[in-house]
Amino acid sequence: MQFDWPELIRKLFSQEAAFAVSVAILVIGVLLAYLVWRYTHYLLRDAGVGEAVEGTPFERTAQRFGTSTVGLIATLAAVFVYLGAIILALNVSQLFRDTSFWSRFVTFLPNLFVAVFALIVGLIAGDKAKLSVSEKLRSVKLPQAELLPTLVKYSIVFLALLVALGQLGVATAALLILLAAYAFGLVFLCGLAFKHLLSAGAAGLYLVLTQPYSIGDEVRINDQQGIVQEVDIFVTHIESDGEEYIVPNNRVFTAGVVRIRS
Amino acid sequence: MSALREFFDDIVADTDAVFLFAPSASLYQSFEDDDTDVVVIAAENTIDAQRFVELPLEFTDLAGRVRFGVEGALDQEFVEEDATVVCIADVFGDSPDSVVRINVGEFSASGVYDLFVNSRAEPSVIRDVLDVAVELGKKGQKGKPVGALFVVGDAGKVMNKSRPLSYNPFEKSHVHVGDPIVNVMLKEFSRLDGAFVISDAGKIVSAYRYLEPSAEGVDIPKGLGARHMAAGAVTRDTNAIAIVLSESDGLVRAFKGGELILEVDPEEY
Repeated sequence: MQFDWPELIRKLFSQEAAFAVSVAILVIGVLLAYLVWRYTHYLLRDAGVGEAVEGTPFERTAQRFGTSTVGLIATLAAVFVYLGAIILALNVSQLFRDTSFWSRFVTFLPNLFVAVFALIVGLIAGDKAKLSVSEKLRSVKLPQAELLPTLVKYSIVFLALLVALGQLGVATAALLILLAAYAFGLVFLCGLAFKHLLSAGAAGLYLVLTQPYSIGDEVRINDQQGIVQEVDIFVTHIESDGEEYIVPNNRVFTAGVVRIRS
Repeated sequence: MSALREFFDDIVADTDAVFLFAPSASLYQSFEDDDTDVVVIAAENTIDAQRFVELPLEFTDLAGRVRFGVEGALDQEFVEEDATVVCIADVFGDSPDSVVRINVGEFSASGVYDLFVNSRAEPSVIRDVLDVAVELGKKGQKGKPVGALFVVGDAGKVMNKSRPLSYNPFEKSHVHVGDPIVNVMLKEFSRLDGAFVISDAGKIVSAYRYLEPSAEGVDIPKGLGARHMAAGAVTRDTNAIAIVLSESDGLVRAFKGGELILEVDPEEY
């Protein structure tokens, strides 16, 4: 629909008038871009984006260049609006004969915007996830554990990159296959690693909800006999003279419980 | 002013370590640069100090705070048993305004640190129970003073050494101390006689328990009632600790191993 406009204006007005209209479009474009910039600024600030991204490396890099993430996104939006206005104006005034290039560029513009936006969001989300994961793992002082936050970060950045490239129409089939393999590996390995934990949790849910035995009861599970001290989702603590058995809840299920009443 | 300065020099002379109760990063750094042994004692390790003792509750008086800090530092072996330390604390404001000199060797441990850190129950659980007791002592039940007895940790053994006075209102419930609803619930149930039993992880196992430990050899100050005696006895018989809110004088007391360890006045919080 948009591309009929220049044609219509050129038909209605003379060559000079069309030029005047294109100048007007440019001026309106500047105004519109400014409004978009202001509005995005307010919107992002009200949504608390400024505080949310604080401390991420992306924000710090942005600040080194004298701007911020909020400012960057707002400027980006404004630039795209202004670019759109310039292209519209050029089309109207017919300064360039070859319109096919510009019309293609106009259709491409929103995609470009989404791609850049996705990349920025991905970078920030990656940094944020890395920060929060490393915060969680701070008490674990193992060199191997430090790999995890970085892995999480690059997984998210990879996803964002995939979205961005998909927007730009670059062939991403190979990357998609890589992603699928990665996701499958993750699910498979997690399933394998958490197998016992998951079955203990499922059994623990039943134990906590129905309480076949409770704290203070004397029970025997396998060969371990004692007084129940604690029942939580994953394990049951049983204590007898000076020995505390911590029994996984799935074992309670597979072996059964003997309650000792005497 | 030279007399004052001399007096001050005497106070800080020959110290082995500095205990910082008012952690300010710049002060800590200046001590560190000076190669002085610094131990930070606060509720939170905001300045990433290497030697740190966590305060589980806000002691209102400086003596309680210092006592806890010294016992904590001794337990973690930050200072020797015959060391002389200088404590820098904030008593009237947020900035350091007091200097206290302590000879650790002449100091008799009260076991406050031991109560929190080396008990069966987790420190956060003990703190939460203490908070509930203090809250209850401050407000009472409908304006009237109430008494309460909480037995924390080693719940299995405690349950075996006690019997129910009536149906257990916490049967099949999953309430933990520190849950927001708990204050109200405990306030209502404190009208009932008997003890609350709380597990190591903070689950409220039962209310309305009649404790049946043997009170032999329990040494608590004379003048305290049956509730305190029961509390002292149960901590002697099991590995639990007990926190008691007295109905008559309104104080909160903590027992461990049959001994009175801590006494807190709720009104001062």
